Amino acid sequence: MQLDDIIYNPLLRGILGLCLMGAIFLGAMGAVWFERKLAGDIQQRLGPARAGPYGLLQLVADAIKLFTKEDIIPKNADRLLFISAPILMMGSVFLMLVAIPFGAIIIDGVTYPIAATDMDISILYIEAVSAISVIGIFMAAYSSNNKFSLLGAFRNFARMIGYEVPLGICIVSVAIMAGSLNIIEIAQAQSPLWFIIKQPLGFIVFFIAIMADMGRLPFDQNESEEELIAGWITEYTGMRFGLGFFAEYIHLILGSMLIVLLFLGGWNLPAALTANTILGIILPTAFYLGKVILVILTIIMIRWAVPRYRIDQVVDLSWKRLLPLALLNLGWVIALGLLGV
Amino acid sequence: MEETVGPSEMIVHLGPQHPMLPGPFRVNAKLRGETIVDSEVEIGYIHKGIEKILENKTYLQGITIVDRICYLEALTNEEAYVGCVEKLAGIEVPERAQYIRVIMEELSRIQSHILGMGEYASFIGFVSMFMYTIRDREDLMSVIDSVTGARITHSFLRFGGVKDDLPDGFKDDVKYVFGNLKKAIDQYEVLFSSDSIYKARTVGIGTLTADVAKDLGVSGPPLRATGVAFDIRRDEPYLVYNDLDFKVCTQKDGDVYARIQVRLDEMRESMYIVEQCLDQIPSGPLFPEGTAYGKRSPVMRIPAGEVFHRVEAPRGEMGFYMISDGSDKPYRVKIRGPVYPTLQALPPLLKGVTVADIVAIAGSMDTCTSEVDR
Repeated sequence: MQLDDIIYNPLLRGILGLCLMGAIFLGAMGAVWFERKLAGDIQQRLGPARAGPYGLLQLVADAIKLFTKEDIIPKNADRLLFISAPILMMGSVFLMLVAIPFGAIIIDGVTYPIAATDMDISILYIEAVSAISVIGIFMAAYSSNNKFSLLGAFRNFARMIGYEVPLGICIVSVAIMAGSLNIIEIAQAQSPLWFIIKQPLGFIVFFIAIMADMGRLPFDQNESEEELIAGWITEYTGMRFGLGFFAEYIHLILGSMLIVLLFLGGWNLPAALTANTILGIILPTAFYLGKVILVILTIIMIRWAVPRYRIDQVVDLSWKRLLPLALLNLGWVIALGLLGV
Repeated sequence: MEETVGPSEMIVHLGPQHPMLPGPFRVNAKLRGETIVDSEVEIGYIHKGIEKILENKTYLQGITIVDRICYLEALTNEEAYVGCVEKLAGIEVPERAQYIRVIMEELSRIQSHILGMGEYASFIGFVSMFMYTIRDREDLMSVIDSVTGARITHSFLRFGGVKDDLPDGFKDDVKYVFGNLKKAIDQYEVLFSSDSIYKARTVGIGTLTADVAKDLGVSGPPLRATGVAFDIRRDEPYLVYNDLDFKVCTQKDGDVYARIQVRLDEMRESMYIVEQCLDQIPSGPLFPEGTAYGKRSPVMRIPAGEVFHRVEAPRGEMGFYMISDGSDKPYRVKIRGPVYPTLQALPPLLKGVTVADIVAIAGSMDTCTSEVDR
């Protein structure tokens, strides 16, 4: 009981949350570096190579640049909305962060997830707060008084309405199979068999939908630089731009975590491996984060290997392909449940 | 285009400083939602007055000026200009010089097509493809550089001949580069024909019909993609194209996919032409015997007369109309470039497509604004 008291202490939980926030910022910087290096490899060039070993300091240089840049607010912009939009977006990803576990510690066969909260409806909560960022994007676009921004925001809404439905249905399928809406329990429920094996179709639909959710190419129509300059973020400079930029990369990491938690088995390992205390502390989290990195790698590689869909084609894809497939998967999951598999 | 805007319509100006338009021209598009209701193309942002400049330069100085019409097709521009003067003065180019010209112009066509293709890929968000084409183009540029001494503005052709002979080992260099390039082009073709997103963005988009293309005077790959087999190298042969075996690449559909495919096929044909030339090239002088054209600064007075000479540039028909009054400078030069008519085909094609297709269609035309605004 002594251990439980420590683990469920609200103050310690708050400190843990702050640590996770710092960790995710570092993770996002790592993801940026990783993406640029990987893009360089894919395109047969070096990527960042000058600042520091392997260009690692490039991120520091970029951050300094963003902080010291002139902060321009367009004359005809709606100042209040313009200033608060990036904050809202960042807030949205931090609210998601609160419910997502970053790993787990297994001591004497009991699992203690590393998460700021442990709520019963966490997956619903994550879905709900992740949608807030769309409002942030629309606020940014509407307030900057720029036609390209506005077009980007329109696209964002059209896309969101398209992909949120199949995404939600996939999450429902997972929740039905796990018998819980708590993301930690969903992860635990995959102890012998991962959900990707039990519902492969659901995984594919979820993967595509979450890529659209993150706004990664081929689904980055809201800021397709070829036709819309930079879409909704066109008028932003300096750290305001940086916030929007970082929010996207944090979204990338959190989305990858969701994929691992919902379909790729989370941190579950055979009990024999985690019997030792030290191994129980290190292995589950390492296993989980390793899978997250693999998923991030896959998503980044997809980005650099394909062209971009047109917005009407994305909406077509969501409503005509993903939605029926998601419903089919839901039926499959229910059938499995009825058969008692 | 009418400036009045209806309900739920807005006018978006893409360009002249839009990051992804192929050069500084402007597309004014009237949008309803994402759909383009009406559009117009505005040009003239980088007018250089090259026709007027040519009137004030001696014939030889003009060669460096026509390079600057469009840096991607510098060698074919020179060919059109030099060809005019040669017709006026009745200069016979020795066979070896003709072969060297064909080799260089075909190499230049390949590098222009490969860049146009890569640029197009980046317009639909496929940046990696752009990097690959840049990598492959770089080898070609080195080969061209080894002969002309310059990467883009060559000033390589002279009246009656060429500046320099091919360097030692040129044939091996070309063979090596072509070996890589052929593999790369095969890969691009597989990539293009197997990528469903690429096909969704190209097949049936921006379809130009043969009648419209002919009416507007469109030439080059955009015309051949509509099924019209028109190629000046075959229909009005200049240099030694008569002795060479090549086919005119056409496609039936006239859409974006067909235009890119025509460029891919033409690169293969150009490589075939260069290989033939390297096998057949005779030895001999670079300038007509007993003339002063090969000297550094020949005193040239061209006999009075008028002449029109056209060549097949990478982007289509490039023609020079030249009037000489018998002095050392042309009296008037009129340039007929291939891209101006191609740009005129844009507004009808853009009607009814979405914003994302503006740059896609404009990019597939492989426009060169520098040449439009000469």
